This record gives sequence, C-alpha cells and structure tokens, in this order.
Amino acid sequence: MSGSLSHASSAEPNLTPILDMVFQLITFFMLVINFKAASMDLDLKLPVVGSARPVDSEGKDDLLVLNINSEGKLKVYGQLIANVDGYIRQEAGASLLVARGKNPSAKADDLPSIVVIRADKSTPFKMLNQIITTCQTHGFRNFALKAMNKEA
Amino acid sequence: MRKKKHRQEDIELNVTAMLDMALQLLTFFILTFRSAPVEGQMLLRMPLPQPVAGVRSGETAGHDVQHRNPLAELNTLVISAVASDTGNLRQLAVGESTMSNSLSALDNKLGNLLGDDGSAFDQVIIQVDSRLRYESLMQVIDVCTRQKLPSGERLTKLSLVEGA
Repeated sequence: MSGSLSHASSAEPNLTPILDMVFQLITFFMLVINFKAASMDLDLKLPVVGSARPVDSEGKDDLLVLNINSEGKLKVYGQLIANVDGYIRQEAGASLLVARGKNPSAKADDLPSIVVIRADKSTPFKMLNQIITTCQTHGFRNFALKAMNKEA
Repeated sequence: MRKKKHRQEDIELNVTAMLDMALQLLTFFILTFRSAPVEGQMLLRMPLPQPVAGVRSGETAGHDVQHRNPLAELNTLVISAVASDTGNLRQLAVGESTMSNSLSALDNKLGNLLGDDGSAFDQVIIQVDSRLRYESLMQVIDVCTRQKLPSGERLTKLSLVEGA
C-alpha cells in the first residue's frame, strides 16, 4: 500500500514547461494588443484611395479620432455623440491646455492637434462638412482623412 | 545525508494555481484580440475658407485704373465637384472651365495651373455638392494632394465649402 502511494505521487505531470509556454503566449498578446483600435469604429467602410499613406502623425500624439457613419452620426469610442458641438468644444479646450503646456504662446485658433476623420465611404458631404466646420470653428486646422490604400 | 535529500524533495512549488491564472489571462487576450486594419491617411491643412484674392490694406476700388494684372493677387484655385442623384461624381470644374467627371483630366489641368513657374496659386478651395459621397470627394482630394507647387512642395492647403 505504501509502495502504491509513492508510485502515485511520482506520476504528477511536470507543469513547468506548459507554464513557460503560456507565459510566452501572454507576453506575445500583451505586446501586440492595440489600444488605438478601441477608438476606431471597425464597422465603417472606408473609401479606397491609392495614394493614402500609412499613419504618420509626424510625432504629434495628440489625435482626435472622429468616426462618422453613413448617416453622418458621430461615434467616439463606440458611443454616439448627440451634442457634437459641445463635445468638440470640450476636446478643443483640452487640446489647448496641452498645447499651452508645451508652448505658452499656442493660439486657440490654430490648435496643433490632428483631427482624424474616419468616415464611411457613403457619407454625404453635407453631414461630413457639418462636423469639419465645427472643428474649424473651434480652432482645429490639421486634419487627417482616413482611407484604405487597397480593398480590405 | 539521506535525511537532507528527503527534505529537498519535500520543497515543491505548486504551479497549478499559477497555471490556472495564466490560462485565464491567455483566454482573455485571445478573445479580445482584434488586429487593427492597416489604414492610410491624407494629412491636410484646412483653414476656414478665405477670399480667393489677397487685399492690400488701404487699397481702394479703381486704384489700378489701367487694370494691368488682375491675377496678381489671385492665390486660390476654386474647383467645383457636382454630384449625381446617387451621390457619385458627375461633373468637375476648375475655375470657370467645366469638364466631365474625369479625374485624369482634372489631374492634367491642375498640373498645368499649379506647377507652372509663374503660378501664384498656393491653396485650393473645393466647392462640393452637398450630396457627394465621401468616397468620390476623397478621389478629388487625392488628385489635389498629388499636385506639386512651383516651390516643389506638395499642395496641402485645402478648404472645403458646401455648394448647391
């Protein structure tokens, strides 16, 4: 009986290699996780334009990502924004604070932040223009219009 | 000696709990993993629409009575994009001259107007039909941003205004 017990305890699997492998997988997924994807509405169908270049924010990390669906509704981090003017005004205020932190002479009518427009390819210009004009009214001047450079 | 060896065997780390936790973390990361699409973008400087010609301070109407060079202060090129009922591009116009919806014709025309050494144009206003779809608008913007100014820089100053 004593011999049988001893035999059972020695048959325990060695879990160390599997643990090593799992930790390596976790490390991989932690490294490739993309938090920026959360700000993108992946349901939108972007237009395809040949000369659209991959993202290059010229070292400026202060981006305001605006998702505009085919009905012209603004979506940010998955939430529909009802008060577009209020939201953009608030973002402009925050952007100005950041800009003045770096450069005290930053102007409120020429904010350094880049407004990233991700609009559905069937969005009518009228809807798009309302949002762009609101951004311009609140001091944003730099825009990045998103497109795919090949069919997904 | 035997006693010491027996003690070493007793010290075993139970990794089962850690493995459970690690597998749960792994499951979480696998389930939430979404690869971000590779997207391109066009960087533009879009000021509010400005007058198509600069005005010198103190200048009055009729100052240049001989009207020698009416284009001297004209620095903005106006492009019009007209949409069909379905929102596709139907017609283009550069200044007063209209053309079909051919983007290559627009490319040639802009190349001649903006790339010329004597050209004073440094910005473009696109007058866009309110029904025009974003996809068609981007094709027009794409043609504009491919143009080079006499200075060798690419055209990046664009304004969009809503047409009829």
